[in-house]
Amino acid sequence: MADDAVAMGIDLGTSYSCVSLMIDGKPTVIPNEWGDRTHASVVSFLQDGSVLVGNAAKKNIITNAENTVYSAKRLIGRYFFSDEVKKAQAMMPYQIVEGPNNAVRIRAGGQELSLPEVSALVLREMKAIVESYLGREVTKAVITVPAYFNDNQRQATKDAGRIAGLEVLRIVNEPTAAALAYGFGRDVAQRVVIYDLGGGTFDVSILEIGKDVFEVLSTAGDTYLGGDDFDDRIMTWLADDFQAKHGLDLRQNKFCLQMLKEAGEKAKIDVGRDGQASIFIEGICQDAAGQVMNLEQSLGGDQFNKMVMDLVQRTFKVCDEALQSARMTVGDIDAVILVGGPTRLPIIRNSVKHYFQKEPIVGIDPDEVVAMGASIQAHALLDETTAATSTLLDVTPLTLRIGTVGGFTEKIIDKNTPIPIEKSKPFTTSRDGQDRVKIKVYQGEDNKAEGCELLGEFEFTGFRVGYRGDVKIDVTFEIDSNGIVNVSAADAESGQKTSTTISLSSGLSEKDIEAAAARNARTKVEDSIEAVG
Amino acid sequence: MVDLAFEIETEALAQVLDSLDYFQVLKVAQTASPGEIKAAFYRESRAYHPDRYNALPPTPFKDNAFKIYKRITEAYVTLRDDRKRQRYLADVTGPDRDRKLRFDEESEQETKAAQRRQIEEQFGQTPKGRQLYQQAMKDLEAGRVDAAVRNLKTAVMFEPANARFKEALAAAEKKVVHDFRVK
Repeated sequence: MADDAVAMGIDLGTSYSCVSLMIDGKPTVIPNEWGDRTHASVVSFLQDGSVLVGNAAKKNIITNAENTVYSAKRLIGRYFFSDEVKKAQAMMPYQIVEGPNNAVRIRAGGQELSLPEVSALVLREMKAIVESYLGREVTKAVITVPAYFNDNQRQATKDAGRIAGLEVLRIVNEPTAAALAYGFGRDVAQRVVIYDLGGGTFDVSILEIGKDVFEVLSTAGDTYLGGDDFDDRIMTWLADDFQAKHGLDLRQNKFCLQMLKEAGEKAKIDVGRDGQASIFIEGICQDAAGQVMNLEQSLGGDQFNKMVMDLVQRTFKVCDEALQSARMTVGDIDAVILVGGPTRLPIIRNSVKHYFQKEPIVGIDPDEVVAMGASIQAHALLDETTAATSTLLDVTPLTLRIGTVGGFTEKIIDKNTPIPIEKSKPFTTSRDGQDRVKIKVYQGEDNKAEGCELLGEFEFTGFRVGYRGDVKIDVTFEIDSNGIVNVSAADAESGQKTSTTISLSSGLSEKDIEAAAARNARTKVEDSIEAVG
Repeated sequence: MVDLAFEIETEALAQVLDSLDYFQVLKVAQTASPGEIKAAFYRESRAYHPDRYNALPPTPFKDNAFKIYKRITEAYVTLRDDRKRQRYLADVTGPDRDRKLRFDEESEQETKAAQRRQIEEQFGQTPKGRQLYQQAMKDLEAGRVDAAVRNLKTAVMFEPANARFKEALAAAEKKVVHDFRVK
């Protein structure tokens, strides 16, 4: 490998992001100029058209609420009509509007942005941190996503990388990256479970780690469950209590809501660390007489545990699923690795210990391990010597399906199938002289189309035209190493490739990406020092 | 850089890929244990996994390796599952081997349909027919020949084309005549 070839590993999180590089053969988290090792995934659009990204932008969530975008990862790759988007519209202070093809757009700072464009600003910040650390340009990166992300979400994340001016070497699953970091330099043969509770998503992966092979046996997840939901519980409790005492609903005001949210997050961290938390929000609102009111509360450990017990239980349902898919029981697991900030909570640690009947591995930083694993993989992918480094064998998290008559679907590739893989399926025409065939592709575990995520509608043309049932085309479904789905078709008789167009998709077109990349490069990212000061 | 011998081997393998069964793709015996299949998957992954060649510029070698690797995962998915493996082994040792080198859930559906047909042939296509036939068999066992004949006649009314029902009816009717003669 060329000496100057470097590639970074980026953990693009719902709440925080982290970036790492291989330095002297070791994965190393790169801090920014102020020594921060993790960076809030927050983008704040300022009046003068420039933007603020990271921990400095997080401070603006309250003061510049309408123009400060956070938790963009909850929305990336989703359709405008999805439940998650509706939920976000009610919660988020920034405006979420509908774009073309059912896409989601954010309106902030006087412009409309797609989600990949917002995430691209966070990625650009990570790129800048690495570049100022090394003192030169770095354009190659591995970006991690939750293992349970579907094709739309993976594709959108990859687009975000391109918009940020990065060559995305690979999209890697977060738990797989964590396992890679755990196994790095450790000569073990173990079956490990990665329990990854992030800010907005929950993943479980079971891996078999050998000397130089990391095989993912199964993965399961919930992209609607994360640390944010724990904050929400505290927030709801505070708001209900305040309403009972003073008759004022703080949730009616988005400004109050943000203060509550921040207090909720802080209380969660405090109660996890100290076993109890004191909450004090000065001047949260005014009463009818114009009197300024404060919110004061204290939260005990047991009380908090009761509030979130059902959320914790939900994670174990997902663990059950992962074990079942891997055809294992907890007795088969050699090690448990915790990933994600919320796993610092004693209630999580204790519950995980009980569930797996094993003490989780200590000495792994749950905030940094994913980025570290990503940088190991980035380094390996740059290796031109094709030397035998560790081989990563990952799986697809969701069943790939095609739409059939009556709103039903048919399985094409099962979930937990090793990738890359392909599967061909023959189709015939149903009318005389038919010159196009359309198929809808879905991902999900429901045999009804409405219970699955639509990846797109593909239209094939340019095959031989003939009588009905006479013309056969072979459609090939491929899932690549990124977990991204590619669909192509060929005339079964001649082998001639047919042309494929995607007529329905949540994603950005090639032209959109190029335009967004140009726009993104022009956007001035404010030096955070001014904002902090 | 890729070893020249390996490059040649890869090209040759890619060319004959469509005539190989999954055991040949993984380079294991048809009797290989699950452990041997896993070990073979690891061994072939080390050689062909696309990550290894990611940094190389696009070449025919890279395309070949990718094509082979996708077949390796396909082989592993089928052979690691006992049920699928059994079914696949029957496919590739049978007369239709050339058509069934790539395992298809559809062939599984075909088997299920064939099984269903077999059951239907054995016990009748209609619920009423099946019920009457079963009752007739019980009657025969218990020596109630008249009742059996009655039930079988009704069963044949439900399924006039069912050869098995007609056969059973003919046999039962013979019995009636025979019994009468003895008296």
